[in-house]
This record gives sequence, C-alpha cells and structure tokens, in this order.
Amino acid sequence: MTTKDVIEKIGLRSLSKFEHRDVDGVFVSDMLSDVMAGAKSGNLWVTVQTHKSIVPAANLVDVSAVIITSGKNVPQETIDLANQHNIAILSTDLPSFELVGKLYGLGLVSS
Amino acid sequence: MSECRHRWEMANIQFGFVVFEKCSHCNNLRTYFSLEDTWDEYREGDCQWSIVENAQTFRFDLKCRDCNRLETFEDLMGLLYCTSCQPECEVEVLRKKFEAEKTWILVAFGFLPRAKTNPIPQHKLDILTDYFNQRRDTSRSKVKIVSFNLIGDLLSRCRGEFIHDVGMLSQEPEERKPLL
Repeated sequence: MTTKDVIEKIGLRSLSKFEHRDVDGVFVSDMLSDVMAGAKSGNLWVTVQTHKSIVPAANLVDVSAVIITSGKNVPQETIDLANQHNIAILSTDLPSFELVGKLYGLGLVSS
Repeated sequence: MSECRHRWEMANIQFGFVVFEKCSHCNNLRTYFSLEDTWDEYREGDCQWSIVENAQTFRFDLKCRDCNRLETFEDLMGLLYCTSCQPECEVEVLRKKFEAEKTWILVAFGFLPRAKTNPIPQHKLDILTDYFNQRRDTSRSKVKIVSFNLIGDLLSRCRGEFIHDVGMLSQEPEERKPLL
C-alpha cells in the first residue's frame, strides 16, 4: 500500500508537495521524543501536533507521511518546511481514534 | 579490532526532561537531563540558578544487535535542525553541500557548559549517523549528524530548531529567538 492509496481510500487532504511512497505500519503519538524513539521507516505518523518541529522529526525517522487529525490548522511555516524536504503532510477532520480505526480497516497495523 | 558491521538499536531508553537553567549573577547557562519535571530555583555560592526552559525529551544508548557492543550517549542533549539562519555558519555550508545528495544535516548538542570543552566525540557522532541511517530507506535520503562546535562563535545567534517537545502547543508562530 502507498501513501496515494491511503489518501484516496480515507479521503485525506494533502497539504505539502511530496512523492508517494510505500506505507509500512502506523505510529500514533503527539510527542516528538516518542516518535524519535519508536517510529519506523515507512510508518504513517498520526498526531495532532502541527508545530514545524514535526518535519525534522518525521524526516529523522523516515516516516512515509504525517497525518494531522481533528482538522487542526497547520501553520504555513510547517508546510513550507515540509515542501523543502519532500515530507508528506496530510490532514483529516477525523479524530485520531477514528482515523486509526480506518487505517486498521485497511490492514495497516502498528509495527 | 572488531570486524562487526554493527547493526545498532536503542537501549536503556529513559524519558525525562532537558532542563535549561541560567544564573542571574554570572549569566551562565547550563543544561542537564532530569527524570523529573523540575522548576526549582536554587543558590550555589554566588550563583542564583533559575530554569528558563524545560523540554520533554529522552536519552538512550545504542547497542549492536550482533556483537552487543554498547555505546553510551548520556552526554547527548539533543539534535538540532539547521534553519539556515547564518549563511557563514559551517553547518549551513555543510547543509548546502549535502543538499544535492539528499542528505540532511542535524547538529548534535552535548550538555552545557561541559560540551564546549568536551564535545561529543566524532566516533559517537558517526555511530549516531549510522544508527539513524540504518533506520531509514537510504535510497531516498540520508542524515548526517555533526557536532555543534561547527557553529562556533555564531552559537549565540543560532536560531536552529531543537527536536524537543517544547512550545508544541502554541497555535501562534513565535518570532524565532536566539538558541542560547
């Protein structure tokens, strides 16, 4: 499954410019330190955090995309930074719990 | 000499806080790792230390899955993302140089003031670089971790971004302040 598949099947909004890539599992956390310690390459990172620091954290651990939940407004500086570095920032109005249920329904699990 | 190619994984992970404190007497800054969320002020000789920042973070060691070699990183305060704030900074020069190779530059900070005279050794930075590259699909991009000493005299004007859990809840973009 790729980021393109996930976007289409769940109806996510793409906020940044990026190349689609394979998705491998899901990581849910609102703490950067948690992500740095536990997320794996290819994971979808589900969070409500929108601060620009999510971009270097996402890049450091090579997640396939960051999905911002609950319709949070993402600052332009976060999107600009993601655009510079080919980091996928996606968003949804769904709360994290509901999004995770849908991702699980697609066969994605924590890894 | 070991011929192991080392496949690193995190070990001894501890979640806690990085504390930045400043003395109102000598104006010195020092940082340390604490397992507790502390905001205490205290006196030490002529110095009066107050906490100016307190960010959630974690510390870890790296252990080789194959040969069990353990490399400790208790001296690593955190990683900083370069924001290209000063064109003459050596980190920015490196960032530009490696950009075409899709290699991200991150700056490793040790705890202050000790790190100014005893920076994290290069072999540890190389191990950190190896570890984070082993965690990623390097056909897409890589990371390279360098010492904060490269920032040199420009440190007081650095506006890089620590990858720490601080200021994450603010909805308003803040004017970027000097790092230290």
